[in-house]
Amino acid sequence: MMERLTVAERQQAMLITAVLALAGLILAIAGRNDPMGVHGWIILIFAGGLFFVAGNALYLAEPTEDRTTSYYDDPTKVGILLSLFWAVVAMGMGVWVAAQLAWPDLRFDAAWSSFGRIRPVHTSGVIFGFGGNALIATSYHVMQRTSRARLAGHVSPWFVLLGFNLFCIIAASGYLMGITQSKEYAEPEWYADIWLVIVWVSYFVLYMRTLARRNEPHIYVANWYYMAFILVVAMLHIVNNLAVPASFGAAKSYSAFSGVQDAMTQWWYGHNAVAFFLTSGFLGMLYYFLPKRAERPIYSYRLSILSFWGIVFFYIWAGSHHLHYTAVPQWVQTLGMTFSVMLLVPSWASAGNALMTLNGAWGKVRDDATLRFMMVAAVFYGLSTFEGSFMAVRAVNSLSHYTDWTVGHVHAGAMGWVALITFGSIYALVPILWRRESMYSWKLVEWHFWLALIGTVIYVFAMWNSGIIQGLMWRTYTESGTLAYSFTDSLVAMHPYYVARTIGGAFFLTGAIIGAFNVIMTIRRVRQDTQELDYPTKSEAGEPAVPVAE
Amino acid sequence: MSVKERDPLTGHETTGHEWDGITELNTRVPRAVWFFVAITHIWALIYWVLMPSWPLVTTYWKGLLGYDQAIAVEEQVAKAYRDIEVWRAPLGELSAEEIREIPELMTHVERTAPTLFGDNCAACHGTDLSGAPGYPSLIDDAWLWGNDTDTILETLRVGINAPHPDTRFAQMLAFGETNILSVPEIRTVVDYVQSLSGLDPDVPAERLEQGQAIFADNCTSCHGDNARGIQDLGAPNLTDDAWVYGGDDATMFKTIYDGRQGWMPAWEDRLTEADRMMLTLYIQNRAAEAKQ
Amino acid sequence: MLRKILKPFSKFFEFHARTHYRAERHSMGLTIGIIAAAAVGGFVEIAPLFSIDDTVEADPNMRVYTPLEQAGRDIYIREGCYACHSQMIRTLRDEVDRYGPYSLAVESQYDHPMLWGSKRTGPDLARVGEKFSDEWQVQHLADPRSLVPESVMPQYAFLLNTSLETASLPGRLAALRTVGVPYTDEQVANAADDARGQAIPDSDRAYAVEERYGEATNIRVFDGRRDRLTEMDALVAYLQILGGLSDLPRNTHSSEGD
Repeated sequence: MMERLTVAERQQAMLITAVLALAGLILAIAGRNDPMGVHGWIILIFAGGLFFVAGNALYLAEPTEDRTTSYYDDPTKVGILLSLFWAVVAMGMGVWVAAQLAWPDLRFDAAWSSFGRIRPVHTSGVIFGFGGNALIATSYHVMQRTSRARLAGHVSPWFVLLGFNLFCIIAASGYLMGITQSKEYAEPEWYADIWLVIVWVSYFVLYMRTLARRNEPHIYVANWYYMAFILVVAMLHIVNNLAVPASFGAAKSYSAFSGVQDAMTQWWYGHNAVAFFLTSGFLGMLYYFLPKRAERPIYSYRLSILSFWGIVFFYIWAGSHHLHYTAVPQWVQTLGMTFSVMLLVPSWASAGNALMTLNGAWGKVRDDATLRFMMVAAVFYGLSTFEGSFMAVRAVNSLSHYTDWTVGHVHAGAMGWVALITFGSIYALVPILWRRESMYSWKLVEWHFWLALIGTVIYVFAMWNSGIIQGLMWRTYTESGTLAYSFTDSLVAMHPYYVARTIGGAFFLTGAIIGAFNVIMTIRRVRQDTQELDYPTKSEAGEPAVPVAE
Repeated sequence: MSVKERDPLTGHETTGHEWDGITELNTRVPRAVWFFVAITHIWALIYWVLMPSWPLVTTYWKGLLGYDQAIAVEEQVAKAYRDIEVWRAPLGELSAEEIREIPELMTHVERTAPTLFGDNCAACHGTDLSGAPGYPSLIDDAWLWGNDTDTILETLRVGINAPHPDTRFAQMLAFGETNILSVPEIRTVVDYVQSLSGLDPDVPAERLEQGQAIFADNCTSCHGDNARGIQDLGAPNLTDDAWVYGGDDATMFKTIYDGRQGWMPAWEDRLTEADRMMLTLYIQNRAAEAKQ
Repeated sequence: MLRKILKPFSKFFEFHARTHYRAERHSMGLTIGIIAAAAVGGFVEIAPLFSIDDTVEADPNMRVYTPLEQAGRDIYIREGCYACHSQMIRTLRDEVDRYGPYSLAVESQYDHPMLWGSKRTGPDLARVGEKFSDEWQVQHLADPRSLVPESVMPQYAFLLNTSLETASLPGRLAALRTVGVPYTDEQVANAADDARGQAIPDSDRAYAVEERYGEATNIRVFDGRRDRLTEMDALVAYLQILGGLSDLPRNTHSSEGD
């Protein structure tokens, strides 16, 4: 892959990795009495390794190809593989934490293996490792294709992708060592947060520069969503992680906010991590791969406009529905609830837009598991957004909050929507990227589809049951007007559902492993297919029609 | 592709543009969408007017209904309290015997007490009341302070060695730690005490005599001349087979060497008098059942 | 009628769609639009929480965490306890009945960050302080199922054998002071000593802790080992103060807790 970079670019890569390695060394020395020092060494090894990769290739010949006539897909390929790697690791962790709730002694006699430490490895691993890599990789692909332009730069795509993965490694290894801010889905400490800001700004710059090169007058819907994902995640990340380190020689820091304000900030972040990481970005994926695979036009350009701006505007307000009945003032709760309900319309508009796009392609959905992944993802997106708005209603939330119902809801979204659209996109993308005739085995894609679907359904039903039972047991009164069940009673009642959810998760994990295997075999075993080479072409298109009056 | 085309399937026009082969239809937003937009917005508007909603720099809109979640829950709790008082009030006035005579009242007690016990007491004494090392069983005959109603009520109220002004106080001295007894002496007295409850029968008589002498000099002031304990001091009977911490050599050695000071929370601040009466009745009933 | 109600919405949308149509030709146009649309909600919901006075109740007697308790809080965070335990009693009757008076904003005023939690795999801990004995907490943390066979909590026996690192405590308190916790210079400077003192009753250090943090401070050998200051001391000290920082909840509630 290095041979596609010019010598100057290889030198640039060496410079960047050298600076990063130095930063790692400084961190290692400063944090020698703290787990942070381990992170310094990890950074040093990571950056040092890349330095040698770049240095080894330094004297290779300059690339001869005319780079403007093709797309730059190497980072996309690596991103897809990394995404699958994280999927297997993080979903494996998920099955393990789930099993610990059913059989609490299923751990090692070591601090790192307790539920509290490995749970964030699962959540961050899936959201950032699996989801984030898939988003970065597909966004590289989609922005090039829909702009008819090659990526702007050859070093920065690698910097973003690998830098992001370094963040993921620091995050996951940190949790095992007990480094965490405790802010849900934003657990990594200050130095990791600063690093992510650098990576993320580079990502935004890369995106804008590539768009600037576009041979299209208009920016395609998928790119709006990817842009919203990049921009708003940056905003959320920076504000939520404002903190003062206790020392520059240690990982520990203290949040700038406390109590009520911190609660609101955390859930403003937390809910919009769902909105702009797990929804917006993946809608970008959906808006490209679904019509492409179905070979059907998007049902409605205007519905796309409505749902996009609806999601960007309304979602931000919804975070406070995580704080119903708490010490957060009620006016904020009201806003959170009402905006969550109003949000349902744009959410369903996108799900509907996706499903209506499939009109005329239902035969393909039946026959093609890849497209079926995307179709079912859109259905789950619709279901979980409905469920989300429903659970945001105060009365419902009083029952569902703090219970497994929330966990079930999140997984309906994460497994049913995020993971399925990602796997569908990966199956659509891999043969194109590696120029293969098809996937190694369509039967394995079918197997993956059914395992994933069954796993999700088992998981979600188990959590609905346990959550609602738990919530009801907590609030059930006897005829005497006193509480009917102790907390322990409710805990005992959860056991069968915790077993069931572990099984559901194991199904899903098996599917992911099959998927990873299928992708690797496609790359290694399937014949090259040179016919269909896509490359940037001049846009022949004129202006799209102005949206006409309703 | 710059020409607008009509999609043969839906009959809608495309926008006339394509991105990497993807085209879009210029379909109008379906009426249903506008319908739901209108409904949700109007509903939100009404809700905002009625309930606390928009912030106004240093204050916020309180809502026409004047609803406040804190006041609401306090009213609910107060109302529930009044409802419960209807049957609960006698618990504070009658004696345990009298309460037992009223089947209706006992039904309430049997309904309520298991959860109270589960949420407050079971963490130490177990959901089945059988205790755990360091936390006595409540269903056997061995009671440190006594199991009559008033005693249990008082123990619940003030706790043992708890931060309560009237708390019950009890302490097993650290005989080894403070060098009152030497290690061999402790081992000897362990053997002696074990023999009292029929454990470890193979100890030579001479050693038992030595043990008895040590016991008489050091232990009888609390555990009594006959080692049957003194409930006023919370000192356990050592002749039965019930052990708070354990009757094996190692545990007993530790008990005597390091001393013990158990801790039972005072529940006066957390549980009402009626709650404590219910728990007392519940414990006594479970103990009676266990005996059968 | 229906048409009339829908009209303003579709009129607005028409304007919106045309604006969008123009914006989507310029990446900066979209960027600005997205930032503007997404910034409103957060600003309107978060900023007033700082400017509206009665957001947080006033309690002049609200006390701060001692260094040992803060160290325990950091361990609570490190071990991810918040993943299973909430510290927020909601304004719901059953929660008040089960856990005690509902939580007030002032109670987490000095919590950087707050640990209200989002899941109750285990029970709420907002008022668990002094509910059980230190010995129980120690044994329960070390081996939860030895006391509560139904429990699914992980074992934390290693805390008993891990010495508490105290050297960083002055730095920690100083950082907390930067973000708004009213520690005095003296409290910051003596943080390491005070952490030790709180776990060695009847020592000079213990008297100093009492002087600096008030007579109501729990000064005990929390983990049962006088010879060594362990992480267990810190965590138990923290758990035992939960719900005890402010007297306001018990005093303001007209309600009968149970």
